[in-house]
Amino acid sequence: MIIDHLEEPLPGSSLLPTPSGDAYTDPEIFGTEQTEIFEKMWNCVLRADALPAPGHWQKATIGREEIIVVHTRKAGIQAYFNVCAHRGMRVCTAESGKNKTLQCGYHAWTYALEGDLVAAPNLTSMPDVDRKEYGLKPVHVRQWLGYVWVCLAEEPPDFEQEVLGEVRTRFGEVESIDNYGIENLKLGETKTYDVAANWKLIIENFMECYHCATIHPELTEVIPEFADGLASQRKNGEVHGSNFGEEIQGFTVDGTASGVAELPAIAPDQDRKYFAITVKPQVFINTVPDHVIIHRTFPVSESRTVVECDWLFLPEVVEHVQAGELDISKSVELFHRVNQQDFQACELTQPSMSSAAYASGGALVPSEHHIQEFHSWWYQRLGLQAPLPAASGSEKVA
Amino acid sequence: MSFKACSLQDLTPGEGLRIDSVSPPIAIFLTEEGTVHAIDDTCTHQDASLAAGWVEDCRVECPLHESTFSLRTGAVDQPPAKKGVRVHTVELDGDDVLVELSQDAPNLPPGVKI
Repeated sequence: MIIDHLEEPLPGSSLLPTPSGDAYTDPEIFGTEQTEIFEKMWNCVLRADALPAPGHWQKATIGREEIIVVHTRKAGIQAYFNVCAHRGMRVCTAESGKNKTLQCGYHAWTYALEGDLVAAPNLTSMPDVDRKEYGLKPVHVRQWLGYVWVCLAEEPPDFEQEVLGEVRTRFGEVESIDNYGIENLKLGETKTYDVAANWKLIIENFMECYHCATIHPELTEVIPEFADGLASQRKNGEVHGSNFGEEIQGFTVDGTASGVAELPAIAPDQDRKYFAITVKPQVFINTVPDHVIIHRTFPVSESRTVVECDWLFLPEVVEHVQAGELDISKSVELFHRVNQQDFQACELTQPSMSSAAYASGGALVPSEHHIQEFHSWWYQRLGLQAPLPAASGSEKVA
Repeated sequence: MSFKACSLQDLTPGEGLRIDSVSPPIAIFLTEEGTVHAIDDTCTHQDASLAAGWVEDCRVECPLHESTFSLRTGAVDQPPAKKGVRVHTVELDGDDVLVELSQDAPNLPPGVKI
């Protein structure tokens, strides 16, 4: 309720407060974020087509836990804690692989791809050992947009409501995200960024465009309206389609035509526009008429976050690229530069988070005020009290 | 003397079924190709049930250490197992899987007794 009062600036107060600096540097706060946010919510971990056939598996780290995501023989894609039920050793030790079973390298306890314990030395003489109970501990799995989403909570939040509902509502009925057919797109390019910054700095950066005209010259050339500082994401989670400039022919690094086929089902209002949303706590979805860019963020520590960014195109586009008949580098380069520019800004911000000069936090200008919706969500998840608005607001102005 | 080990309905293509009413236990396999085989269930290297192994190209891979055994001859392909397993004669009578046990001495791993 306190936060509600903050949505409109107080008379004479253009600036709203941010969380204090230690929210971005305190390992204890980061630990609480891991348990209360990342280990309880749905996380988008990898593309389903990264596990093309039974036996393929890949590891992922969610919160403090290591997870194995597996393409099983009988049950589609499943995921488990990477912990042997016997004495706890890591079952999978490489980053990814293809195996007929998942076997612990310590005592050879061996699990089916479906997670049950199937073999162990002398197991036949221990008939009382329940193969499910001593199987790999499963985590909840969903597939959406061509990605595998997992939730470590025993009772996960409702995926339809928490993830699908939120995204669909924010994109709106007409400008539906479904029009992009993201689940049928293929990976044209992927890049990993190891960012020396707190994950919240990356989300806050993604939510606003006050910085665009300063650090994103190429993006602002393609979408001149970003120079007004207003982002695609706005108050109450609304998404605003940001128009390409009149002379702009495509969402490319130099604004020339991409040469890439447009996604067939987008609405007229989605043509020549860029949309962006944040799916808390760790996904950004960006759509343009001929491709979709998806960021997955994986917080490693209070001051380090790994960001995986995928550029998705129509399957025929990716086939042409693989055959050497089409070049998507102009399209990829635009957001790759945006990523580099954003993450550099975040890395140059992180060290100041522990400065005496930032101890009580910073400020949000009106075009950034919607970031307080993220902050109030964050305070609530962590069971913290948001700072009193009047005091911090007037302090900043005075 | 053959005995009914199981019914075809008890078998899943590509998987094994451990029968422990006999000693040492045997494993019945229905391959993806539809053939039925019976071998000793216990790997000759260490006590593990071959019925839980991966079946491919009429061989079963021990779930523990990757030696594979021919379902037709019982022969082992690679260490750590050094000896093959016994093969038992299978006959189908309708849906009944009838097995006649081999009279050879089994090659059991250390610590496993009949």
